[in-house]
Amino acid sequence: MGGGFRVLHLVRPFLAFLPEVQSADRKIPFREKVIYTVISLFIFLVCSQLPLYGIHSTTGADPFYWMRVILASNRGTVMELGITPIVTSGLVMQLLAGSKIIEVDNNVREDRALLNGAQKLLGILIAIGEAVAYVLSGMYGPVGQLGVGNAILIILQLFFAGIIVICLDELLQKGYGLGSGISLFIATNICESIIWKAFSPTTINTGRGAEFEGAVIALFHMLITKSNKVAALRQAFYRQNLPNVTNLLATVLIFLIVIYFQGFRVVLPVRSKSARGQQGSYPIKLFYTSNMPIILQSALVSNLYFISQLLYRKFSGNFFVNLLGQWKESEYSGQSIPVSGLAYLITAPASFADMAAHPFHALFYIVFMLTACALFSKTWIEVSGSSARDVAKQLKEQQMVMPGHRESNLQKELNRYIPTAAAFGGVCIGALTVLADFMGAIGSGTGILLAVTIIYQYFETFEKEKASELGFFGF
Amino acid sequence: MDAIDSVVDPLRDFAKDSIRLVKRCHKPDRKEFTKVAVRTAIGFVVMGFVGFFVKLIFIPINNIIVGAT
Repeated sequence: MGGGFRVLHLVRPFLAFLPEVQSADRKIPFREKVIYTVISLFIFLVCSQLPLYGIHSTTGADPFYWMRVILASNRGTVMELGITPIVTSGLVMQLLAGSKIIEVDNNVREDRALLNGAQKLLGILIAIGEAVAYVLSGMYGPVGQLGVGNAILIILQLFFAGIIVICLDELLQKGYGLGSGISLFIATNICESIIWKAFSPTTINTGRGAEFEGAVIALFHMLITKSNKVAALRQAFYRQNLPNVTNLLATVLIFLIVIYFQGFRVVLPVRSKSARGQQGSYPIKLFYTSNMPIILQSALVSNLYFISQLLYRKFSGNFFVNLLGQWKESEYSGQSIPVSGLAYLITAPASFADMAAHPFHALFYIVFMLTACALFSKTWIEVSGSSARDVAKQLKEQQMVMPGHRESNLQKELNRYIPTAAAFGGVCIGALTVLADFMGAIGSGTGILLAVTIIYQYFETFEKEKASELGFFGF
Repeated sequence: MDAIDSVVDPLRDFAKDSIRLVKRCHKPDRKEFTKVAVRTAIGFVVMGFVGFFVKLIFIPINNIIVGAT
């Protein structure tokens, strides 16, 4: 690399073409932020329900079935890509910057602008790439049947939806809203999924006649219409292949457990060297990396599923392909499910009974979950700039010291807690996910954990925002 | 045995560190827990029903749209 030349500078020519939300030039009142946030959410939700024009069919097995929870995407709609482009580009840029492959000096305004521009550009490219891949792979029916015109139309629709999501997220990030668009969309998608499974008025026939999909609706319907109340109650609580009341109760239990553990934290006292020795504290949470381990673990598993299904479909006779995973279509949902191989081993057992019947599978799955979450969590603190070294540097820049410790010992003290909190927190996250899946909680363990941790963060943001608002007027 | 030790020792250290961390942790009391649980539950339900009703409204709309094409 020549002196002064940097990879980020390659992005400069493109900045002029990228759609951009102007930074807020004034203090946005709290109420206005709420309005912007709600409007963004509605735009996203409506796009999630709008069907794509020009598609031939979406009846084939959905290779992204496993991924949709965490990517806020919906099959056959304008929001098919969900937040994939923006999340992927965000993760990639984070990894590149965190591992110093790209040099970024956050103190230089231009570098921050270029980094944001690079991330946005990458997001747009990913949106285009994915849209093309979707169409060519026959997701919406064979290309020959679609015709070139419709194929291009579909790609354009997905592309513009990707742009919309990118702009909505930027709107919220730039100070017009609360928190980040990504978190908002994921959490809402999961909450909607759970509420839908509890109260859905649609009917599905699974061999016992038409039944309501919603667990609560079905409960009341059965109690009202069936003469044998005890049998009705039993069926409402334990019916197979559709959401039932036990699933709902398990969901609530996981919800409460997650909230309890959210409150665990080590509070380290810190003091300002200036400002008259102002006292404060720096909390290190047990869930130090929040829901990031579960996102990364889910992304890993989902990609493995995708690759395995793709290979199995084309080379199902190959030994190594079979080793990776063999798939079969489920009788009820029409989705492919893994029945053997590595893909099967890392899939949650369907129930405790299934667990007892296949102990090796259960054991392998548990060990994989806990280990993967712990490792991802530990790795994430390094690449995201929240390791003990990074925190020590931040505190130093803010002229903060720990009472009773010399400045040079700050990092050492932090090192006693942060790596352990990250790794053990990751293990706890993994364990909760496993527990949720075994208990049959609605929305999957992954989804519940994501939703609860995101909502928790939203309330923290809420509190801070309100506090600063009152403080603002208080002065 | 060396191989086993090289696996067991780090795990034992990790377990020890984790236990120390948990003991050192401030844990939420009943009041704090209830407060957070209620607020998070409200957020959960609000978000869920917003999505739920949008979906509910769009079922007939989509039937019209798709039926037309």
